This record gives sequence, structure tokens and C-alpha cells, in this order.
Amino acid sequence: MVLVYKMSTKSLWLLFIFIGSSYSETYSEELFIKPLATGYVYSFFQFTVIREDDSFKHSTLFPHSLGDIIDRFHVAELNVDLTSGLWKHKSWGYPAVDAPSGAEISARFHNDTQDIDKHWYGLTNALSGLLCTSLNFINSANSYESSADRVYRYSNLPRENVCTENLTPWKKLLPCDSTRGLSSLLNSGRVHNANYHSLGIHFRPLCNAGKCKYELRQTVSLVYDSIFISFNNNYDWSLRKMFGTGLFKTCPLADYSKIYLDTSSNSSVPYLISQEPDYVLKNNIAVYNLNGIFHLSAIVPRPKIVVSELRPLLYTDRFITGFGQEYGGLVTRIYNDHKSAIIATVIENIPWFLPIYYHTLKVTSNGIRVIPKALIYKPGKGRVRIYYLEIVLELAPRSVTEISVQFDYVFLKWQEYPPDANHGFYIGSAIVKATIPRNATSLTFDKSLIIDNLNSTGDDYLICLKTENFIITLPTPDFSMPYNVICLACTVVALAFGPIHNITTKRLKLTTAKYVPGLASVAQKLYVLMETIFMLKTKKTGKPTPVKVFTPEELSYHPTLGHVSEEFMKNKGN
Amino acid sequence: MGLLTDPSVGHGALTSIFVRHHNRFCIVMYIVSVALFCMLAHYSLSSQTYFSENALLPGLVKGQLNDNTGSSFRDHYRELNAEAEHFETETPHSYLISKFKNLRLETYSHNFTLNYPLKKNTKYTGRNVYGILRAPRSASIESIVLSVPYRAPSSVFPSTLPGLAVMFQIAQFFRRMYNQIYWAKDIIFLVTEHEQLGMQAWLEAYHGTSCGSPGVLDSGKLSGRAGAIQAAINLEIHSEKIDHIDVKLSGLNGQLPNLDLVNLAHRLCNKESVKHTFNNVDGGAIGRNKVNSYYTNLSTMLSMVMTQATGVPDGNHGLFHRFGIEAITLEGHEKEGRGIYSSVLQVGRVIEGMFRSLNNLLERFHQSFFFYLLPSTDRYVSIGLYMPCLVLLVGALFLKAFSTWIQHSTEHKPGDSSAETTIPEHLNVGMVSVITLGSHVVGLLLLPNLAPAYFTHFWNYMPTHRALLLGYGSLSLTIVCILPIIMKKCLNSFKSSNWVLLHVICLLELGIGLLCVSMHNFSLGYLTALVYVLPAICTKSSQNSLIVKFLWLLVHPMCSLFWITAYITYTAYPELPITDYLTKVLEASGQWMVLSTVDNMIYGNWAFTVGVLLLLPVWTAFWCLMFLPTIVSKKMKTE
Repeated sequence: MVLVYKMSTKSLWLLFIFIGSSYSETYSEELFIKPLATGYVYSFFQFTVIREDDSFKHSTLFPHSLGDIIDRFHVAELNVDLTSGLWKHKSWGYPAVDAPSGAEISARFHNDTQDIDKHWYGLTNALSGLLCTSLNFINSANSYESSADRVYRYSNLPRENVCTENLTPWKKLLPCDSTRGLSSLLNSGRVHNANYHSLGIHFRPLCNAGKCKYELRQTVSLVYDSIFISFNNNYDWSLRKMFGTGLFKTCPLADYSKIYLDTSSNSSVPYLISQEPDYVLKNNIAVYNLNGIFHLSAIVPRPKIVVSELRPLLYTDRFITGFGQEYGGLVTRIYNDHKSAIIATVIENIPWFLPIYYHTLKVTSNGIRVIPKALIYKPGKGRVRIYYLEIVLELAPRSVTEISVQFDYVFLKWQEYPPDANHGFYIGSAIVKATIPRNATSLTFDKSLIIDNLNSTGDDYLICLKTENFIITLPTPDFSMPYNVICLACTVVALAFGPIHNITTKRLKLTTAKYVPGLASVAQKLYVLMETIFMLKTKKTGKPTPVKVFTPEELSYHPTLGHVSEEFMKNKGN
Repeated sequence: MGLLTDPSVGHGALTSIFVRHHNRFCIVMYIVSVALFCMLAHYSLSSQTYFSENALLPGLVKGQLNDNTGSSFRDHYRELNAEAEHFETETPHSYLISKFKNLRLETYSHNFTLNYPLKKNTKYTGRNVYGILRAPRSASIESIVLSVPYRAPSSVFPSTLPGLAVMFQIAQFFRRMYNQIYWAKDIIFLVTEHEQLGMQAWLEAYHGTSCGSPGVLDSGKLSGRAGAIQAAINLEIHSEKIDHIDVKLSGLNGQLPNLDLVNLAHRLCNKESVKHTFNNVDGGAIGRNKVNSYYTNLSTMLSMVMTQATGVPDGNHGLFHRFGIEAITLEGHEKEGRGIYSSVLQVGRVIEGMFRSLNNLLERFHQSFFFYLLPSTDRYVSIGLYMPCLVLLVGALFLKAFSTWIQHSTEHKPGDSSAETTIPEHLNVGMVSVITLGSHVVGLLLLPNLAPAYFTHFWNYMPTHRALLLGYGSLSLTIVCILPIIMKKCLNSFKSSNWVLLHVICLLELGIGLLCVSMHNFSLGYLTALVYVLPAICTKSSQNSLIVKFLWLLVHPMCSLFWITAYITYTAYPELPITDYLTKVLEASGQWMVLSTVDNMIYGNWAFTVGVLLLLPVWTAFWCLMFLPTIVSKKMKTE
């Protein structure tokens, strides 16, 4: 302390920051690789910053731009995922972070925040600038608040395309950017050629006995098809084949950088790894500590027998039923392959342009109708609010539970159609949350670092499944037709206007209609002339015509009947 | 708009000409309509096809499908043949499943059951196998289907095994070649069983609906889906050596695929120099003179109209259309004898090209025509040109109705004694409505999901088709014989000089019905109009001559069916002796009725419904009209 007092105030300040930050922030880089069934390779990058200070005014490792946003909008927890492709639970198991295709964002604000909506839109707009995404399209018509939590907001944009423009700003948030460390593996050319890729930013407080730490995880999930990267018929893969480069330098700011390789599939299909691991965790996870140049490759022979897909305990299926553009149905199926019942919560957020009929909501389990344990329904409102449906169900052991609801297709206003209107409208995914036994899935990802997750033990694990998106075709006008329609409508209106105006505004008076020779009468005279000539020639006696044709002179005007014959008027008079 | 307010309109000069000579006008309209229809095939009225959807970009990339990597087509074909020989009548499901799995596709199978509607407790089961190639560039939102109907060696139809081998070859190429990362739509490879039944069951299961009568086709459940299906191609390739590819379009109830898809097939066949045809007629006009090419075009167009009019799809593609999925069948006919032929690899490249074009599509097909007639592979007649033909025919009916009405209202013009009070009675509104309602109720009772089951139950000792024929035949005969007697004997009290209201209602209903039918299926509407309009014009509101009655009897829906089958049987078996011929025609008519009812109950084909709900009631009402008691006015008598 004496030493400190002797220093000038300026250097004291510097020292204070240095000591403070080095104590309060830690950074680690991890990569988890898991070869999946049928030749896919899953790689999960996680870059974690943990800090103790709850103010984001000053930081060394925590991205300042994001910290500012978190501070300004009173964000307590934030999850942003930008995904392209569909995670196939049935054949790939559970991912580290489950995200639906497109953009997904959820946030929880501090409990004392006043105007949550204002902060929510502010946050999404700020993030859309930070990440170059269309999060600014989030409004009340596509986001919802949780039924239990006032300060929670969720939204997804299934139409969002994820590309390089999102990856570059995402990488800028990392302490080492993309020059060193594991992030140097993320080349946009390779990332976007993957069968599935998902960028994520996850911020949350980790509180223990009143003391809080703040965790920021930046994640990338990539699934490569070994066929596309290996140029042969085997299931080979390597870092270079997947990412186009090896690892050269580690990030000096990272407290530790590690690569984990899940070798559990080695038992069914033995394969060769180019490097011996530093140590092995739980018998099947090879761990590599990174320091300096590193390369990893595996030679995997293609299995002779196709191994049946290892199905996870719980998976979903969602689709549209019906055809045509009048009525449709939305079906969500949840498969429970577990030997005991599982409690699951299903959240459906259906956009306002698919108005659902609540009375058609049907929940069946193996074909038998069941009553949900709890049900929350908030009807939507055209252009303002989504249809929110939250159902808590007990999934019977080894059962298929089906939730179906009918909806209408809506005519939109012509300005509400997106470009390429005939492509269809995207409907975002439903969310299924359930607690499953921890040993039912090989890996869990609820702790901060992957290493902690690999070592974790416990009873239950909360999974959150996102179902597939789909597109529907709403009645779409032919956008080249408005001109024709306008012309037709105007003609009809113009033709109708005159007589209606006349009838309604003028008093009808009895007059004798004047005879004006028209084209028709000329034609008739000509015809009569022709006929007489013709008859003269053939000398036939013509039949008397059954039709009495009134000449206009014979017609008179009756106040209510209009033109009637003179005779009629006479009779009337009598 | 003066039309609305001026009652003197019906008395104008032009009207009087129309009214006086309506019969001549009707005949002229009929003749003009037929002439115009025949003209449609001419070069000057049809136009050159073109691509409306620019995103298709057909043939922009070079076909890369080859035999060099992986198993070749011959390997697949040999393997498949060996497998098919083991199962004389069944589908080798397990082989297909393992084959798809081996090709690294997500493989599923789908079970379905048909409860045969005309016989209780008769069930047929089937199983489809399909594999999904998950596109690396999308989230399984859209997909394209490539389907092949599996035909066991015992099938009466030509084999589709070469087509299946081509499908394997394509699946292997799309899935296993390392540079195929451009797929943005999932591709479903589907092998169906039991011809159209399997396809219908799969489609119903995919969309979670039922199109036919409830409980008939139990389509089961699918466990794998791939989003909204954008287009489908059905392959029926009969041989390794292909003479030509026939592009088939006609779908259920006469629905047609978007013209862009049809053009795409023809364009890519052209590119890969595969001979391509429509209704087995080559489109190339080279070497034909003008007259010849006109006749070829006309016959092609007529054969399309005939196929479309039945409402029965001429391939598995036809069932997709209802679901808003554009689909066609490519049928590869065998090259017989020696000469130039196309290899399956060429055809494979055509399909590859089509899939790559479809993969480019951003929006679903909406640009080009959905209603058209094709006189040739590269020419089309748009709806704006062919619709006037029908409008002329229907217009003749309307003109007849209009002039009958005007004639009537002027005959009983005001000034006649007690005109005002007698008019309503004179029209016999009550009786007319009873007749029209009654005829429609009979039609409703004869609907395919009511009467046939009863008939087969009643005559359960005889084959279904005879029971149906007997049922419908006896019922029609009863109506034909009994109605005149009832009309003559029982309705004497309702005597009136004529039955204009009934006549006008019949004419209008026929006209409107035909218009509605032709909106959906032009060919059916037009052909029906050709048959029914002429006799309908000949009828009068009273005093119909015996010839007209006889003519009307000839066009009874059952009789029409009989004439059509008689003609078809004659063209098929010209040398049969007369008794054999007649029994054959009767049997065939019965069979046709069974097929039609079953089609209605499984697929929702409404050809039979049109017959029963439109033609039969109108026919019956006209028949009543002809025998209704009338007072012969003194005036007429003296003349």
C-alpha cells in the first residue's frame, strides 16, 4: 500500500485497471469435434469470456460494443442465434445450442426495467446494426413475451439468410479477432459451405449466493458432410479439409485453448487419428491442449453395414396439412422414446396471418385424445400480435404425441407481400422444452466451459428443441394484374354510376318517348326489305310472326314500370 | 346499364330478329364453334411455347451424369432385375430400403390400406419406399420429387425397372459426387406400389388429408417429410434402349401442370438430343407439308382433349396437381428393331438438367399457363382462344332460353283478358319446381358413394360391374318408361299450353353447368356440350315431335356411355361377331362404371358426379318436359 501511495495518480489509475481487469475477466477458446452417424462431422466452437464486474464501461476482453448495448438496454440475459440449415435431431442427436433456421433472439431484462418493449426494440435495432442482420424487423407482430416472465422477450425471423456479412462482425467481437487461435479456422468460404451452421452470442449472469459473474459465450456450430470435404468415398475428415487451414498460432489472451474429440463412434467404426491426445476424458473424449502449430485428421473407412440411426429420447416433427388456399392444419408431433413419462412444454408462436381456430386444437397421444396439464392461449390480432400457445404435456412412455390445430389462409394487403411473393411465407419453429435424464444424452452443455460440461454429472438436463420451419403459400395476387383490375373496376363503376345517379336524384315524369332511328332499326328495316324480296322471289307465304314488336311510338312511360305500351296505359286508365 | 332499368329492351329491333330466328342462329353458332375448334390446331391460332419463368435457366449447365464413378447404370439394372425375379408379384421392399440407405439417403417406408368401397371387408395393403436427399443449402423447406411406380414382373403394364435403375443412378450421382453442394431443395426419391393408388396414398399421407370418400383409403402416416413440394417428375422408362420420351401431362379431373414445366422437359430433351413426343407424336414439323402438319397437330390436340376429358390421370404425375404441385411423367418407349436410339444416360442427363433448373426456382411455378391445349410439342393454344368455342355452344343454349322466354312473354302480352292474374298460374311454378327438384334428388341418390354400395349389396351374387350396370340401367329404364305415363295420366289437371319455365330452367342449367365444368376441365365440358347442345336446341316447350324425343333418348347419359364404349370396343376388336361384340360392350360399360365410381371414392375424380348431378337431372327434366300434358291451342289447330 505504501508503494501505491508513492506513485502518481495517473499510473495508479492504470495499475488499478490492469489489476482489476486481469482479475475480473477470463477468456477461453474451445473446439469440440464429434463425428456423427452417416458421415457427418459436427464441430462446435466456443469462445467464453467471464467477468465479475457488472458494469460494462471498461473491459479488456469483453467486447466493448456489445457491453455498451447490454448496459444501455438493461439486458440481464441475451441469446442471439443466426442459423442456416436444419439440425436433424433424429440422426444427429442434440446439439450444444439448439437454434432454428434463420435468426432467433431472446432477452431478459433487469426486473426494475420500466418500459420493456422500448428497450426490446432498442436492443434488437442495436444488434441488427452490430451483426448486420435484419433484427430490426422485429416488432410486436413477431415477438412474444413469456407467460410467466414479464421481463422476457422472444422473437425469431425464419426468413433471415445467414452469410459472411454476419460472420465478419461476429468475429470482430472476439478478443483475438480472427488472426490467432481457434477463430482463425473460421473462414467464411468454408463456414457457409457447411450443411448446417449456426453463429451464436449468449450472455447470462452466473449467480451463486448473491455473488454474480457474467458470462459471454460466442459459439459456432458447424456440420460438414464428409462426402463433400473428403473427395473420396470414405468418411475421412481433417481440420484442413473442413476449415481450409490448420492451426498455427494460439491466442495469447486465452487462458486456455483446447480441442476435444468425441471418439465414442470409434467402437462401431474404428478409425485412425493422426495425433495422440494429451489425455483422455471419460474413456472416449480425447483432449488436445493447443500450443503452437496443430493439425488433426482422421481416416474413417466407410462402414459396410449401414448403422441404424441412434435416435435421441425426444424429437419432434412439424408439418402443414391440407391443400389449397382455404383451410389448413398445423401438426406438431413429439416422439418420446424413453421408457418413462416426460413432462414437456410446447410453445407455438403462430404469425397473425395464420389465424388459428382454438376450438380445433387437439392433443392426442398414440391416437387417443389427452388433456394437457396446462394450457395458455393468447389469441393473436391482425398485424399486431402473434397467436401464442403454450401447452404443458405429460408425454407417455414410448409414445407419439400430436398437437394439431386448424387455421385459415388470410388475404393480405398488397403491400404486405414480401418480394418474390410466390416463394411463400415462412412460419417459424415451435419450441419444445423438456427435462430428460442426464445420462440419456452423451453430452450436455449447460455449464460455462465445454470442459466443465464434459465432466458434469447430475440428474436432469433441460433440453430445448426447435422444430423445423416451413413455408406456406398464401393466396397471392398476380402482381402484374392490378392495372387490368383497376381498368375493369373503373369501367364498371362508371357504367353503374350514371343510371343509379339518375334514378336516385331525378323525378320520373310521364312523357312519350321520342323515336330515334338507331342502328338496330336500320338493320331491321334492311332485314324486312331483304325478306320481302326473298319472299317475292320464292312466292312463299310467310308465317305470321308470333312476336309482337313494339315500335317506340307505341311505347309510353309508366312512373314505376318504365316503358310500357300505349295499350297498357290505356287499360290502366280504365 | 340501361339494361337494368329499361323494360322495353326485350322488344327492340335486334331482339326481334334474334327471337324470330333463334334456331338458325343456334345452328350457326354450333357450326362456327366446331369450325373454330378445329382451326385451333392451325399454325396461325396456336403460338410458339416460351419460358415465362426466367429463374428456370434451362440447360445453362452441362449435364455431368456419367457412368464412370460408382456403380454404373448396368450394375444397378442387373442387380434390380435379379431382385425382381425373386418376387413375381410383390415389391422387394427390403431391397429398396437397403439400396436407398446404401446410397446415403434418409430412408423411410410408408404403409397404406385400401378398404375396397364396393365390397365389405375387402382390404388391400401396400407399401411405398422413399429416400430423402437433404439439401446442404436449405433447412428442408422445399423439395422436389422423383418418383417411379414399381411394377412387378407379373404386372400387365410394361416394366419400369430401367426407370428405377436410372433413379438409383441419379440418386447416387446427386448424393455421392463431391461437388454437388448446390442443392437448395431436398430431393425425394419415391418408389410407389400399386400404380396410382400408392401415389395417392403417399400424397394424402404427406399432406395429412383424405381426398376421396372418408374411410376408403387409409393413407397411414409418414415419419419423414421435406417441406413444401415444388415439382415432381414421374419416370416410366421401359427399356435400356429408348426410342423416344413421351411427356405426359393430363392429371386428375383434367388438371394440367404449368406449361413452363412441360416446356422444360421438351427443351432439355432437345438439348440432350433425345427424341421427345407429346401423345406419341413427334413435334418436329420437318419433312411434313403444311396440310399434313395441320392434320398431325389436329389429331394430337384431339387426342389430348380425349385424354383430358376422361378426368383420369394418364400417369402418376396426375395426382400431384391437386396439391398445387406441378408434375409430369416422362415415359421412355422401347426402341424396337435397329436404328438410332437414346441411351438411359442421355435421359438421366435430361432429368439432371430438369432438377438443376427446378433447384434454381425461387418462387413456385406461377408464371406460365395452367390452362392450355397442346397441338404439338412446341406450340400451345391458350385459354383465351379455346374458350370462345365453348362459349359459342353455351351461348346457343342461352339464346334459345332467352328467345323462348321473350316469345312467351310477348304471346301473353298485357291486353289479353285477365292477363295479369293468369300469368303466375300459367307458368306452373309449383309443378316445375317439383320436377326440377325431384330430378336432382334422384341424381343425389345415385351419387357414387350412395347407390353403388347398395346395388352391390342387393345383387351380391354377381360381379360388381354387372350389379352396377344392372342397378343404374334398370333405374334409368324405369325413369324413361314410367315418367311419360305419370306425366300423361296424373298431371292432366296441370294442363297448360306450354311449359316455358321448365324449358328455360333446363336450358339455363345445362348451359351454366357446362360452363362450370369447362372452367375446370375444358375437354370434358366441350365434348359434353357437343353431344347435348344440339338435341337441347331442338326441343320446344311444347309439342315436341317424335324425332326429338327419340334423339333425346339417344343421348341419355347411360346411352352415351354405351355409345362411347361401343366405339372404343369396335376400334379395339373390329372383327368380333355381333353377339360377342354386344356382350363385350355391355361388360365394358359396367366395368367403366365401376372404375369411375371407385375413382370417385378413392381419388375424388368427379367425372361420374358430373354425369349424375348435372347430366342426368337435366336429361330427366327435359324428358318430363316432352311428355307434360299440353292444351293444343285452337289457333294452332286451325292452321
